[in-house]
Amino acid sequence: MNKYLLKFPIFLFIIVLLVFFYLLIIERNPSEIPSALLNKKIKNFESESLLKGEKFFSSNYIGKEIILVNFFASWCKPCRDEHIFIKKFADKNLKVIGINYKDNPEKAIKWLKKLGNPYSDIAIDNKGKIAINWGVYGIPETFIIDSKGVVKYRHVGPVTKKIYRKMNLLLKEIK
Amino acid sequence: MTSSLGNFSLWLSLLFSISQFFFSRKKNQLNFIAISVNGLLITSLLSFLLLMYAHVISDFSLVNVFQNSHTTKPLIYKISGVWGNHEGSMLLWILVLTMFNYFIYKLYNKENSIFIFKTLETQSFITIGFILFTILTSNPFKKMLSIEENGLGFNPILQDPALAIHPPLLYLGYVGFSAAFSMSVATLSLSKNETIFWYNYMKPFVMAAWTFLSIGIALGSLWAYYELGWGGWWFWDPVENASFMPWLLGTALLHSLIVVEKKKSLQAWVLLLAILAFLLSVVGTFLVRSGILTSVHTFALDPSRGMYILIFTAILGIYSLVLFGSKSKKYFDNNYFSFFSKEGAILINNIFMVIVCATVFLGTIYPLLVESITSNKISVGEPYYNSTVIPIIMPAILIMGIGPILSWGKENKLEIIKKILPTTFVTLLMTILIFSFYELYSVIGVFGIFLAFWIISNNLFILYKKKINHQIGMIVAHLGVGLLILGITGSSIWQIEKITKMKINNEIKINNYNILFNQIKEIKGPNYLALEGNFLVYNNNKNLIATLKPQNRFYPITGNYTSEVSIDTNFLRDLYIVLGKGNKDIGWTVRAYYNPLVIWIWIGSFVIFLGGIISINRNLKNLPK
Repeated sequence: MNKYLLKFPIFLFIIVLLVFFYLLIIERNPSEIPSALLNKKIKNFESESLLKGEKFFSSNYIGKEIILVNFFASWCKPCRDEHIFIKKFADKNLKVIGINYKDNPEKAIKWLKKLGNPYSDIAIDNKGKIAINWGVYGIPETFIIDSKGVVKYRHVGPVTKKIYRKMNLLLKEIK
Repeated sequence: MTSSLGNFSLWLSLLFSISQFFFSRKKNQLNFIAISVNGLLITSLLSFLLLMYAHVISDFSLVNVFQNSHTTKPLIYKISGVWGNHEGSMLLWILVLTMFNYFIYKLYNKENSIFIFKTLETQSFITIGFILFTILTSNPFKKMLSIEENGLGFNPILQDPALAIHPPLLYLGYVGFSAAFSMSVATLSLSKNETIFWYNYMKPFVMAAWTFLSIGIALGSLWAYYELGWGGWWFWDPVENASFMPWLLGTALLHSLIVVEKKKSLQAWVLLLAILAFLLSVVGTFLVRSGILTSVHTFALDPSRGMYILIFTAILGIYSLVLFGSKSKKYFDNNYFSFFSKEGAILINNIFMVIVCATVFLGTIYPLLVESITSNKISVGEPYYNSTVIPIIMPAILIMGIGPILSWGKENKLEIIKKILPTTFVTLLMTILIFSFYELYSVIGVFGIFLAFWIISNNLFILYKKKINHQIGMIVAHLGVGLLILGITGSSIWQIEKITKMKINNEIKINNYNILFNQIKEIKGPNYLALEGNFLVYNNNKNLIATLKPQNRFYPITGNYTSEVSIDTNFLRDLYIVLGKGNKDIGWTVRAYYNPLVIWIWIGSFVIFLGGIISINRNLKNLPK
């Protein structure tokens, strides 16, 4: 029996182990769905502004500078968990636009008063139409859009510490 | 109270497993080993019962009970809820592990002491690994910081009798392979002049593992069939594959063990299979519990758990495979087999099983492989498996039909042809008969039905001839495989699916049946509210033959919606109805299936299980005294 043939199982086993190991340590979300919008220009849209009592024009923000777009709702528990990171982005002078998804406006305003408001402006999306156009899978969801209006990053689910760091690196790169 | 007692007994188990490890490395410490083995069994049983007690009395001071239970849950699901979650299922895993550990210890006698001690050493190493894993990353006895009136409830789709016993049976299978693994390691570690009938000891464990794994997988599949409401019973889900792969290797292992026993050939091959079967079981555990992929089975995501199991798998795998690479030479032989002999048929079958296993393995990890290299997401699904697994498994089944008829050593070819002539005739006849009944042809279908009757008729023929030298358990199990193939083929090629919107008094036609949706009403269950549809099924002669009542349930505690399928079963076909979303004005989405011969899948699986049980019994009697 060939000597090398006997070593073959261990060789194969180690390759499989390495793949598993690599997948465990990298930041990945197995339920992540790649966005079809990635590296594409986002279409402009109109809606009502939650806090300003006037119309919301996305063209006021998109394509002007680097912005963060965050889909959230007061009924969504993970949104509350990630709120601290969204605030951190705003503290860094990054413009953060909120999209209030299928929510009661009064409750949303109350929620923001309690937790703090990191958003420069908030579009109301009570029918979930904006979310559909953006291919939102489930909230919270966060997008980074560069100064040309191109989607650079999309994250499904709450922003965690690791994701926050990853997004900061990406933001530096875009700048 | 329960928390501290539980923790105490868990730590005691750890202590006993460590002491078993040390004393089995020393010579002549039988008394200490006995204390360790028994202590381990008692303490792990105690931890398991304590957690069960906490679930039964709804002790919400434990995080585990709070997260997975609720006072309104029926008692049987309070009990099965113990292993319906990650932490509790680890306790069950440990309990089964220590039970097998105990059985191995019971095999001890003066002649086999070196072999049994070495086996117990490896077994205790595995036990230490799993107990530490439970204590460090998944402690079921963790205390709640706050006081809660009631729990969060239990996922309603898991509240099901088949699913209540599915995990224990699967674990008996997976963990049973740990005994084969330990024995393989022990055999490889024996020094040159020591010999032992290791295969006689390994066989009942492999037989038991395989038997329970088979019925465990079948029950999971049965559950998926009537609970998920997708009309099918197997979805090539990564976690289904994780149980299917050890099963395939277990099948190969089981059969080649017979060759080792009779001809003393294939020893190295069997030792490798025993190692791989358990390693694949642990890799399966890793896939399910690390959150590396998503499926209906994945438990709460926790990377630290994944890392722990991965490191543990690495230690087990590298140690055993290096041992195999360096020590297996003495188990090689240069025996050549004749193709037309029992051992020849078994060897070829073995190769097919391993190839199928490799194919499934590739399909399961290929998306992960691609993602780690290119960070692209791809998915591998049914078309891949159907087009790779089926063609490979078909010749294996063809050989399986004649395997039991062949004799050991050389066989006269003319004799074989004489033997299979009547069964070939019966098989062809039955195939034609079946196809004239279902009237729909496909190449795969013809092969499938042919193979099913090929297996069934050959085994019935052996039974009829009453050949005592044939193992009755084997014949029964093979018969079960034939019935299983009949069910698989029938439901795969003749399934009819209809999805429509239906209002009250609408009718649909499926195959030869007219189904009338005649009313819908609200009902209240013990812990759910439901909308129940009433569907009247008429046959071609306009006779009412069945009333189907699918439900749409809402569980207020967990906030889940589930759909309860309604099925009318007979030996020829299932009628299967799922009530979807909708309302009075626009109607309800209704999915109806005509699934031929499905019941034979479950009957076949049960017959396989029965055959396995008979064989275990026989093998235990054959143990060297």
